[in-house]
Amino acid sequence: MAVTARSRRVKPAGGFELAAWYFMRISGLFLVFLALGHLCIMHLIHNVESINYNFVSDRWTNPQTGYIWRLWDLTMVNLAILHGFNGLRQILEEWINRAKSRVVLRTGIWIFAGALLLLGNYAILMFVKDADYLKNRRDASSDAVTVRADVDRGASSRHPAAVPAFDVLK
Amino acid sequence: MSVYRRGLVSRLVEGLRYGGGAGQWSWLLHRITGLGILLYLVVHIWDTFLVIFSPASYDAIMGFYGGKIHGVEYPLLRWAFRLGELGLFASVVFHAVNGLRVILFDLSPIRAVGAQKELFWAVVALFFFIMIPVTFIVIHALVAEPTPVAAAIVFPRNFVQAFVH
Repeated sequence: MAVTARSRRVKPAGGFELAAWYFMRISGLFLVFLALGHLCIMHLIHNVESINYNFVSDRWTNPQTGYIWRLWDLTMVNLAILHGFNGLRQILEEWINRAKSRVVLRTGIWIFAGALLLLGNYAILMFVKDADYLKNRRDASSDAVTVRADVDRGASSRHPAAVPAFDVLK
Repeated sequence: MSVYRRGLVSRLVEGLRYGGGAGQWSWLLHRITGLGILLYLVVHIWDTFLVIFSPASYDAIMGFYGGKIHGVEYPLLRWAFRLGELGLFASVVFHAVNGLRVILFDLSPIRAVGAQKELFWAVVALFFFIMIPVTFIVIHALVAEPTPVAAAIVFPRNFVQAFVH
C-alpha cells in the first residue's frame, strides 16, 4: 500500500491521467478565486436570507454586469463539476482495481457529471426573468404579514438604505 | 511487518495507525473536505436549477435554507443551516489553501519537502486567518438582523451611512 500511496503522489507518465493531473491543478487555481469569491459575495456580503428569485434574476439580467456574473458562474460550475468528479474517480479507483469495474465506475461518474453539467449550463445560459412571478409575489407579500426572508436586505426600518456600492455585487 | 489485509475496516484502522504525521492528516482532510464540497455542489446545482424551472420553488427552498417553512421561521433549522454553511466555508477554505500547498510540492518537490512542517503550519495559520473573521460575520448575521457587516470592513463609510441617516 505504501508503494501505491507514494506512487500516486508522483506525476503520471502520460495519457489521460497526465492530462487529468494538469487539469486538477489548473482548475484548482481558477477555483480558488472563483469559488472563494462566490462564497464571499453570497455568504458574507449577502446571505441566505437576502438571496431569492428577485436577487438572482437581477444579478443575471443586469444589462451592465449580468454577462460578467453569468460568465463567472458558467466557468465556475463547469470547472467545479469536472474537478470534483475527477477527484471522486481518483479516490474510488484506489478501492476499485478490476478493469471491468473501473469501466462501470467511470461510465457512471461521467454520465452523472454530464447530467449535472447540462443542468448547470442550461440554467445559467437560458435564464430569462419571470416578471409576472415577481409582480404577483410583490402583490401577495404586501397583503401578507411581512416575513423577514421576503424583505430584501436594506429595506427594513432598521437598515433603510439600499447601499449603492452593494448593487454592483449583485 | 504485519500482513496487509484487504477490507474497508482494516484499511481504515491501518490507515489511522500509519504514522504519516502532518502530511497524512492534511491528505485525509483534503479528501474529506473535497467529498463534502462535491456533495454540496450536487445539491446546489439542483436547487439553482429551480430558478429556471420554477421560481416559486426556488424561493421556497431558499426560505428553507434560511430556516423557514411556509413563511414560518424555525430557529433551530435556521441555526443548523447556518452552522452547516460555516462548515462548507471552512471546507472550501481548507481545500483551497491545502491545494495551493500541494501545487507548491509539485512545482518544487525538493524544497517543499525540506519545508514540509513549515508549509503545514502555514496552511493551518492561513486557514484560521480567513475563518475567524468569516465565523464572526456569519454568526453576527445569524444573531442580529441580517446586517451588512462585511460592509463595515470593505466600505466603512457606507456602513456608517446605513445607521446614521
